Amino acid sequence: MEQNTAAQQAAAPVALQFTGAAGEYFRIWIVNLCLSVLTLGIYSAWAKVRRKRYFYGCTLLEGAAFEYLGNPVAVLKGRIIVVVAFAAYALLKEIHWLVGAALFFAVAAALPWVIQRALQFNARNSTHRNVRFGFRGTKMDIFAVLLIGALLIPVTLGLAYPFYLAMKRRIFVDNSSYGNQSFAFSATTGDYYLAAMKLSLAFFGFLVGSLITVGIGLLPFYLLLRAYAETSFARLAWRNTHLGEIRFDCGWTTGGLFGLYFLNTLGILASFGLLVPWAAIRTARYKLERITLHSANGLGSFLASAQDGVGAVGDEAGELLGFDFGL
Amino acid sequence: MSAILARYFDGKSSVARQVSLALDAQRALRVRGDGIDLSYPISAVRASDRIGSSRRYLTFPDGSQCETGDNDGVDRLFAAQQPAAARLLHRWESGLRYALAAAAITLAVAAAAIFWGIPALAKQVAFALPASTEKLLGQDALATLDRFIFAPSRLPAERQEALRRLHSAMLAELSAGRGGGSGYRLELRAGGRAGPNAFALPAGIIVMTDELVALSRDDQEIEAVLAHEIGHLRQRHILRHVLQDSVTVLLIAVTLGDLTSLTTLAATAPTLLLQAKFSRDFEREADEFALGYLARRGISPEVFAAILQRMEDVRPGGKDAPDFLSSHPGTRERIARARGAR
Repeated sequence: MEQNTAAQQAAAPVALQFTGAAGEYFRIWIVNLCLSVLTLGIYSAWAKVRRKRYFYGCTLLEGAAFEYLGNPVAVLKGRIIVVVAFAAYALLKEIHWLVGAALFFAVAAALPWVIQRALQFNARNSTHRNVRFGFRGTKMDIFAVLLIGALLIPVTLGLAYPFYLAMKRRIFVDNSSYGNQSFAFSATTGDYYLAAMKLSLAFFGFLVGSLITVGIGLLPFYLLLRAYAETSFARLAWRNTHLGEIRFDCGWTTGGLFGLYFLNTLGILASFGLLVPWAAIRTARYKLERITLHSANGLGSFLASAQDGVGAVGDEAGELLGFDFGL
Repeated sequence: MSAILARYFDGKSSVARQVSLALDAQRALRVRGDGIDLSYPISAVRASDRIGSSRRYLTFPDGSQCETGDNDGVDRLFAAQQPAAARLLHRWESGLRYALAAAAITLAVAAAAIFWGIPALAKQVAFALPASTEKLLGQDALATLDRFIFAPSRLPAERQEALRRLHSAMLAELSAGRGGGSGYRLELRAGGRAGPNAFALPAGIIVMTDELVALSRDDQEIEAVLAHEIGHLRQRHILRHVLQDSVTVLLIAVTLGDLTSLTTLAATAPTLLLQAKFSRDFEREADEFALGYLARRGISPEVFAAILQRMEDVRPGGKDAPDFLSSHPGTRERIARARGAR
C-alpha cells in the first residue's frame, strides 16, 4: 500500500517553479542599466551575469534552484573581442571589397567555433543541485547545421526549413547533458514538416486577417502568428526531449502566449521601455511554470561528470550575432 | 544566532540533503543533518552575492554546496567577509527611492549621450574617415532612387551642360576659400513622384530634378539650392546621420536587449522621433551654409526664400506622395530665417 502511494507520488508530473517578482527585478534591472551606462558599457558584462543569476536563482525544480556560474570577466573579454572584430570588419571592408570579402569568409569560417563555444560556455556554467550541464557538440556538428541553413534553404526556396529546424534541435538536445546523463531527442523530421504545414495554414490566416482589418490588425495578428509558431515548435521540442527516463512536457498555449506578448508590447510601448523588466518576469513565469517533468520512478540521482573551464568568447559572439539555440 | 536551513549537495550526485548551518565558537561552519556532519572554517566558505530574493549558494572548499532561501541568515553569517561592493549593490537594489535615482541618472546620461555625445562622436568619425568611404553608400543610394523614383533627365543637353558648369563654378569658388569639394558631381533626373526637389547623397552626389529646374525663375535660385546641398556634403551630414542612427539604435538594443527581438524593437521606437530632430538640425546647418555662400556672392537671401516658398507651394499635399521635406524644419521658419539673414 505504502509503496504504491510512493510510486504514484513519484509518477506525478513536477512543474518548474518561478519565484521572480517584477518590482524586485525592476530595481535590479535599473541599477544594472545605470551602472552600464555610467561605465560606458563595461559593467554590462557584470549586469548580464547578475541578471542570469537572478533568473536562474528564481527557477526551482522540486524546491532546488538553478545556478549560473558565468564569470563576468570572461563575458567582458568575449564582448571586447566581438566588438573589435565587428569594428575591424566595418572599417577594413571600406579599403577594398576583396579585403571585405576575405574578412567576411574569415568570420563565417569562425562561426561554427563561436557558436560551439557559446553553447558550451552556457551549458557548463549552468548548474542544478551542484551538478553541471554540458554540451559536447563539435564544430563539425554546428558547421553542418549552418551549411544546411545557409545553402539548402535558399536552394530549395525554404522547403528545407523544417528539416533545418529538426536538425538544429536534434544536434542541440542530443549533445546536451546533465551530469553524466545525456539528453536525447526523439522527434522526426516528419514531425517538423507536419508542424510547418500547420504553420503555413496559420500564416495564410495571418495574411487574410491583416488584409481584412486593413493593417490595423497587423500587430495583433503578427503576435498571434508568432505565439502559434513558438507554441507548436516548443511543444514539439519539449515533448520529444528525454533525460534518462525523464520526459518533458510543455503546456504553453497559443492564446496564453498571445495574451502575454500583446500586454508586454503595449506595456513597453506605453512606458517607453520602463516595463521591460515586468515583461521579462511575466514571460519567464509563463514559460517556465508550464514546463513539466515526468518520470516513472521519481527524479533519480545523477552523477556529476568532470568539467573543464571554457572561455566566454563564443557566448558573446553568439548573442550579438543572434544565434540563440534557446533551451 | 538561529541556524540556517539549507539543502546540501555534494557535487557528485543530485541528491538533496536537508541540513542546518550554524557558526561554532571556533568560527567554523557546522553543516549537520540527514547523515551529514561537516565543519568548514568560515573564511574558506564562499557565499554568492545577494540578488533580490533569489537563492543563495555557499560553496565549500571540497566543491560541495549548500543552497538556501534564507538571505538574511547568510548575510548575518558572512557579514564580516562579504565584499563591500556586493553589500552596497544589494542596498542600492533594495530601496525604491534608490532605484528611482538610478532611473533618473540613467535617463540623464542616456539623453546626454543621444543628444550630444553620439552626434559629436559621429561628427569626429565622419570627418576622420576618408571620402572614399562614402563612395559605395552614395552609388547604392543613387541606383536605388533611379530604379524606383527617377527617370533620366529630359532637359536639353545644352541646359544640362550649363547647370553642370554652374555647379563646377560654385565648387571652384568654394574651394578657393576652404578645401574639399573634389569629386562632387551634379546628377540631373526627371523627379517622378519626388517632384521639384534636390538631394545630397553620400560621396558628393547632388541630385536635382527637372521639375526643380523648371520651377526656378533664374539660375541664382538654382545656385541657392545647390549651395544648401553642398552644405550637406561639406558637413558630411549623410554619413553622420547613418552613424548616429545606427549607434543610437545599437545602444538602446544592447541596453534594453534582455528580451526577445520583438519587444526590443518596440523599445527602439523612440529613436524614430530622434531621427527627425537630427534631420532638422542638419537642415539648419545646411541653410546657414547656403546663406553664407549667397552673402559672399552678393546674392540676396530673398532668392533662397523665394525658391523655398515656391517648392512649398507646389508640394503635393496627398498622403501617398513621399514627403521628402518632412524632416526639414518648417518651411515658413526657414524662409523667415533666410529673410532675417539680410
